[in-house]
Amino acid sequence: MATTVPREAETYVNRLELIWKPRPGLLGWLTTTDHKRIGILYFFTSLLLFGAGGAEALLMRTQLLGPHGHVISPRVYDQMFTLHGITMIFLFVIPMTTGAFGNYLLPLMIGARDMAFPRMNAVSYWIYLCSAIFMYISLAGGHAPNAGWFDYVPLASKRFDPGVNIDFYGFGLIFNSLSSTAAAINFIVTIFKMRAPGMSLNRMPLFCYAFLAASFALLFALPALSLAALLLELDRNLGFHFYDPAHGGSVLLWQNLFWIFGHPEVYIIILPAFGIATSIIPTFTHRRMVLFPLVALAEVMVAFLGFGVWAHHMFTVGLPTSATIYFAAASLIIVIPSAIQLFAWIATILTGKPDFKTPLLFIVGFIIYFILGGLSGITLAAIPFDQQVHDSYYVIAHFHMVIFGAAVFPILGGMYYWFPKVTGRMYNERVGKASFWLTFLGTLVTFFPMHILGLLGMPRRNYTYPAHMGWTLMNLMESIGAYMLAAGLLTIVLNLFLSMVFGKQADDPFHGDTLEWSTSSPPAPYNFVVIPTVTTPYGMYDTEDRRRDNKRLARGEGLLDEGHETPMTTAQDAELVEVLEMPPHSIWPPVCALLLSGMFAMLLLVHYWIAGAFLVLAGMALLAWHSHEEHA
Amino acid sequence: MSSGELSGGGATRIVKALGRPDPRHSAPSGVWGMALFLCAEVALFGTIIGSYFYLESVDRSWPPHGVDRPEVLLPALATTYLLITLLPIHLAARCSRRGKRGATVAAIALALLAQCGYLAWQIVLFADDLHRFSPRQTAYGSIYFTMLAVHHAHVLLGLALDLALISQLLARGLTRYWLIAVRNLALYWYVVGALAVCVLFTQISPSL
Repeated sequence: MATTVPREAETYVNRLELIWKPRPGLLGWLTTTDHKRIGILYFFTSLLLFGAGGAEALLMRTQLLGPHGHVISPRVYDQMFTLHGITMIFLFVIPMTTGAFGNYLLPLMIGARDMAFPRMNAVSYWIYLCSAIFMYISLAGGHAPNAGWFDYVPLASKRFDPGVNIDFYGFGLIFNSLSSTAAAINFIVTIFKMRAPGMSLNRMPLFCYAFLAASFALLFALPALSLAALLLELDRNLGFHFYDPAHGGSVLLWQNLFWIFGHPEVYIIILPAFGIATSIIPTFTHRRMVLFPLVALAEVMVAFLGFGVWAHHMFTVGLPTSATIYFAAASLIIVIPSAIQLFAWIATILTGKPDFKTPLLFIVGFIIYFILGGLSGITLAAIPFDQQVHDSYYVIAHFHMVIFGAAVFPILGGMYYWFPKVTGRMYNERVGKASFWLTFLGTLVTFFPMHILGLLGMPRRNYTYPAHMGWTLMNLMESIGAYMLAAGLLTIVLNLFLSMVFGKQADDPFHGDTLEWSTSSPPAPYNFVVIPTVTTPYGMYDTEDRRRDNKRLARGEGLLDEGHETPMTTAQDAELVEVLEMPPHSIWPPVCALLLSGMFAMLLLVHYWIAGAFLVLAGMALLAWHSHEEHA
Repeated sequence: MSSGELSGGGATRIVKALGRPDPRHSAPSGVWGMALFLCAEVALFGTIIGSYFYLESVDRSWPPHGVDRPEVLLPALATTYLLITLLPIHLAARCSRRGKRGATVAAIALALLAQCGYLAWQIVLFADDLHRFSPRQTAYGSIYFTMLAVHHAHVLLGLALDLALISQLLARGLTRYWLIAVRNLALYWYVVGALAVCVLFTQISPSL
């Protein structure tokens, strides 16, 4: 039941249109602080980078199609697998989930008119874009990072990798983490402070719980990565000895720091996917989520427990037995909150009336791959088994099942689910289902044989293999699967792009259960004509609230039509605290990101004083953006 | 426009529809933002200090042969001095809440001067340490100087914030926006003070 605008309220609506009117043209996109526009920018940028990461994967699979391949050289292969990992993890999945889905949907789901810090939101995007360009520029001249996405020392030290390849990695990730940290802070404050009046924490959608948990995990995990990269750059460029055992350093310091970030990162990637799944399942099964409070708790628990398992990536480095046993046990404990969610999703589907439209199909695919990836994860928590298959294709099979099967499938399902919300048009259902089957089978054929290859002993990162090892058939299957998968993904993109033009008009085709469906599709710049009030976790199922909104609209109450405003509420019970004035467009976020790009470029070129000058200028740009005052 | 200042028909409509706003019982989102930023900074220092002790655990001689145990008295005095400089910052936060712009600016300026003195003192100690051993000799030197440098960078950032806030308060007055900024500045310095104590104990731990 979307809010309909009665004739007597048209004056208020016109006023809102005027107040929130976006700037036209390119300048409008450059200076925007609107969370929806920023979400769209994130979407297209990360989609483009997904294409780049996919092309790198296809190159690798073409190289491995048969034994003794010569499609690319070993040097290029090293750069491809490194860039593929960096792209998919740092430049695609996280920006696509938190940046695109989170930015566009979260304020709509909680009934806010924007994020808590709109300009910081914009700077997060521009920094992300600049960091992606920074890392991809390295491809020119063959200087792309080449020591794997986890960049182990001593391979990544100056002695063994003297070029600037690793410096692109180190500075690029520090740069990128600025964006993610700012985004995480913004999401947490938005969720706690910007919820619609009445949306107490127990009435908040599970999607928001997932993003809250992922944001907290990002906030506390990223400093370890930034520090690890900083120490690496100090070692490489200033002759320090953090990772040099000959001078009292330790190569394992890198591994510890990296995985203190790296394992929570897995949950940072997958938690938003859980959030998307918990949005799609109730809508297409026409029932409320089973075990709502337990699922919310499980989402938070996954993020929390994720910080206690990092050393299970290091079972082969000679840790004390007591430590390995602790980390093995902790890794198994994570099964509990994961299984709670899994059972809740399955129970909701089984006890509801499932309508297997494309978004739900992708969620079913996600559940299947999450189980497969989860089961291989349990085997990897067994210390002797892990030591046997470490650095083999079995590990690649596991994390692709988890990261592609379990994290990307909900993203694809979410693209279909919210497509009518963002565009106001409907995608082609038949093509959607075909794209699902192509993607599902492509994923299975690509990644399942990797388990067998791993057990047969094929090590990861090798650019080719001899014919007599018995690995040829499985590699051939995987490469065929990769092309099938690429075809499925291209079908999705084509379906959505063509439907943007030719799709039927659609407003709320699935009768979604959360607040974003209460407003027009696509939403107006001010999101809601009337600020919604909430008395239930299912804002669109319990229609009494929406009827009350419509009555308030008719009376002209609760519109906040006197300025660029949104309500701020208390963290727990969402009682109205005050009305916030939101900042207007600003050129300073992209300027600030550009200046920081200058700083990182100068650091790369070892011009430290110029880098310092860029930092000072970036600080001045930050000061300048406070030239417009609004409520902080 | 603050809810407390709402007037006219719009205000009535908001109150009728959403209830009367009450800003007294909730920190502004700007303060939440600063608190979360500081959480990330605490995590950063946590990993630096963790790295220090990790490297100590893998190196049999800590500090290595040829490097004296760190001095205790002067760094401890310097840290105590930094903690004392938090008093004018605290005073500035109190004055700002009472709407006293002049007193707020004066207190921040006093803190700025005192904290500049702290940074200068630390730079002298840092340079003195550099004469005795280098970050390029051993992992001990690398982590010792990096930890101190990161702390000093946070002090430098605090000084920049002091300066920026003084200029804004003088130019724009003590509006609600800048009142929150003063509160955030105080929060920043409290955390930098607490982290300075952690850094101090890590720095002097071989001598304890």
